[in-house]
Amino acid sequence: MPSQIVSLVVNGEPREFIARPGVTLLAVLREALGLTAAKRGCAQGSCGTCTVLVDDRPAPACLIAVETVADCSVRTLEGVAVGGNLDEVQSSFVDNFATQCGFCTAGMIMVAEALLDRDPDPSEEDVAEAISGNVCRCTGYRPIMIAILDAARRRRGESVEGIEGTAPARPAEEAVSR
Amino acid sequence: MIQAVHLPESAEAVAVHSARGGWIMGGGTVVMPLVNSGAATRSELVSLRRAGLAGIEVRDGVARIGAAAPLSSVEEHPELAFLRPALRTIASPTIRNLATVGGNLFVEQPYGDLAVCLLALDATCEIAGPAGRRDVPVAEVLASGIAEGEFVTAVVTALPEPGTWYYHKAMRRKLNSASIVTVASVTRTADGVVTSTRIALGGVAPRPVRAVSAERLLRDRPLSPEVLTEAGEAARADTAPFDDAYASAWYRARVLPVHLRRAFAGR
Repeated sequence: MPSQIVSLVVNGEPREFIARPGVTLLAVLREALGLTAAKRGCAQGSCGTCTVLVDDRPAPACLIAVETVADCSVRTLEGVAVGGNLDEVQSSFVDNFATQCGFCTAGMIMVAEALLDRDPDPSEEDVAEAISGNVCRCTGYRPIMIAILDAARRRRGESVEGIEGTAPARPAEEAVSR
Repeated sequence: MIQAVHLPESAEAVAVHSARGGWIMGGGTVVMPLVNSGAATRSELVSLRRAGLAGIEVRDGVARIGAAAPLSSVEEHPELAFLRPALRTIASPTIRNLATVGGNLFVEQPYGDLAVCLLALDATCEIAGPAGRRDVPVAEVLASGIAEGEFVTAVVTALPEPGTWYYHKAMRRKLNSASIVTVASVTRTADGVVTSTRIALGGVAPRPVRAVSAERLLRDRPLSPEVLTEAGEAARADTAPFDDAYASAWYRARVLPVHLRRAFAGR
């Protein structure tokens, strides 16, 4: 079977590309569509840095043969910011120092987006479970968990003050971009 | 090098590609790592994603779960809530959005906790292939696999009666961690003693196994810590533990009675 034209809806826009058989969604995003936020880490689904949302569910793009998700909706980190402004999760990652080397960040944010879309008020345990497929070798996870809980509060329009262990943050009103 | 990815839209069409040597792929969590690393031994993939095999029906106390149902959809099904503790420690939520029920039957130990559950439930696999369809006990599929060209289309199980389901998994971490010992059981009691029991173990043999020695020992006896420990020690005869990065064979055998006891007594 030769290469074929495959369509996806990526970050809300229909995209077409030529895919050779068995090429991964990750390779298509990075190499055909120029969307390099999702990273190639382990290429076996263990590290989570390639996580994107497929039909609103987070999954490692390295394990998806792209033909199998033809015509599906795919959301990547490039589609998260609104009009050039960081969304609540992104700004919360910045304010809470949840990014160090940055290699896990795209995957962590996509998992957080999916979690907060489903559950606007997750517990710490919910956050730990949501990110359990995403490896971070810099932060020790604590700042990431704080950032996701903080993002949930920002999205709910609550004050960001008084979160134990939180770095000084901008007031919620300034940080919220939509 | 993969030459083709087929996306058949019915079980019959899957069978055609499977008979030609295509590699059946559920969610891709087992197949794609091999594709990515160049270790794939076949050149054509047959995805089940559009084959209409992902449905879950629960009727009259019997669940029929399509082989291509993602683990996450089993986890979220209100009438399959008893399986949630088992599902929540299988890999991560992101993997469970892809990994399928059928695929879990064929993963290597110490993975495959759902297969251990299905063995305890005495589930039946619906299988399709070049010779047509057949129903096979999950125990047989786990013990000896299926024929070339065959594939599982669904798993059928009676739901356990309230209060008869037991599950416990020992692992290195609380989430996303492979099994050291997995215990799943359907056990009925009356007047304080066991009237019937099926116990399946994971993590302690190359395939999920029934702990028939423990089952025999528990019959007509109470689920007391002493009896359970005795049963767990007897269960060693049913296992063939292995060394891996998570635990040694020695350790698995050593702690088996503890975790069998905890599955029933909670401590």
